[in-house]
Amino acid sequence: MFFHIILERNMQLHPRHFGRNLRDNLVAKLMKDVEGTCSGRHGFVVAITGIENIGKGLIRDGTGFVTFPVKYQCVVFRPFKGEILEAVVTMVNKMGFFAEAGPVQIFVSNHLIPDDMEFQSGDMPNYTTSDGSVKIQKDSEVRLKIIGTRVDATEIFCIGTIKDDFLGVINDPATA
Amino acid sequence: MSDKGGKGSSLPPKGIKSSLKSTTSNGGSFKGKEDGSTKSKKGRKVQFDSDKVSPKSSGKTESLFSKGNTGKGGKGDNTASTVKKSPSKPPPPLELKVEQELPKNAKCIMDAEALQILQGIQDQMVILSEDPSIKIPASFDRGLQYAKTTGNRYTDYQSVRRILETLKEHGVTEGEICVIANVGPETADEVFALVPSLKGKKEKLMEPLKGVLDELAKLKQLA
Repeated sequence: MFFHIILERNMQLHPRHFGRNLRDNLVAKLMKDVEGTCSGRHGFVVAITGIENIGKGLIRDGTGFVTFPVKYQCVVFRPFKGEILEAVVTMVNKMGFFAEAGPVQIFVSNHLIPDDMEFQSGDMPNYTTSDGSVKIQKDSEVRLKIIGTRVDATEIFCIGTIKDDFLGVINDPATA
Repeated sequence: MSDKGGKGSSLPPKGIKSSLKSTTSNGGSFKGKEDGSTKSKKGRKVQFDSDKVSPKSSGKTESLFSKGNTGKGGKGDNTASTVKKSPSKPPPPLELKVEQELPKNAKCIMDAEALQILQGIQDQMVILSEDPSIKIPASFDRGLQYAKTTGNRYTDYQSVRRILETLKEHGVTEGEICVIANVGPETADEVFALVPSLKGKKEKLMEPLKGVLDELAKLKQLA
């Protein structure tokens, strides 16, 4: 889910950026460095919303670079274990299906898909119930629960389940 | 391979052969209650055996057994939790523990609120993107897309926020409130099924929750 959070970072700036536009340069560099990254603790930094405070710059010994501690507010997206999310299916195969919710990829293994749904291969592979009433295929929306997360350098990957109550395909007017 | 280390000290591990106990912490809690059916719980990530898929997935687990099963202090990392009831050790349900994992100043925002913020930023980005050296990260686009699809459920997120604040008086945490807002449940049972941490206060919450859900239903946008 989304969070609005204050983070801090030490930004190093080369002297050529000093001058009237120092602050703007600093902010631009911050945005370039931080937006789009992710970390295990905070999740994805989706956007920076504002700068809270820029501290005094400290000149590094030996070089002319100056380090500024910057506190900024940003919107982050972090999936949590136990969270319920709505995701869009991107790929279906016999091991399960992949879905995407925001910047996060989620995999639902076929063990965590209800037993009455079976994989049907074909040019549009899908999972279907035995009576054909419910179908999960590419671009379906499903409500799932996250049961595990894994973070690497550039993205967060989750495992989800739809085997619980009230989870599964979302058919808009009717039930979940 | 007996339980190594501190946990399993009181436990006679003999005869309990089936355990490929890579996670000895699980072994430690079997205080003699062992049915011998310790399924091999390899690692903690999200591996689970197909033979664990028992049809009894009621979704709600009766956690009568020692909760020491979760090797990691109650974080519910057992992937089998809430879904499968393995014969000897039903793990506790997977609970949302947002507040513990984020720094104190983190504010949970609902998807609708996030949508407002991100749309505001997108308007500014249009101006910025005329500068070719600035590139808008992919995660921003995806985040915005996601917020659009899920945040559009309610037209007026401020009233939603106000209504859900009333639940706070009953001890519902911010994280749980946001999950309820994002999911948009229709009945109180749905809420209790999806947010297991509220089950402890079920009786207390039932009435206020019903009131809140009725109010929210009025605000729901049939998008």
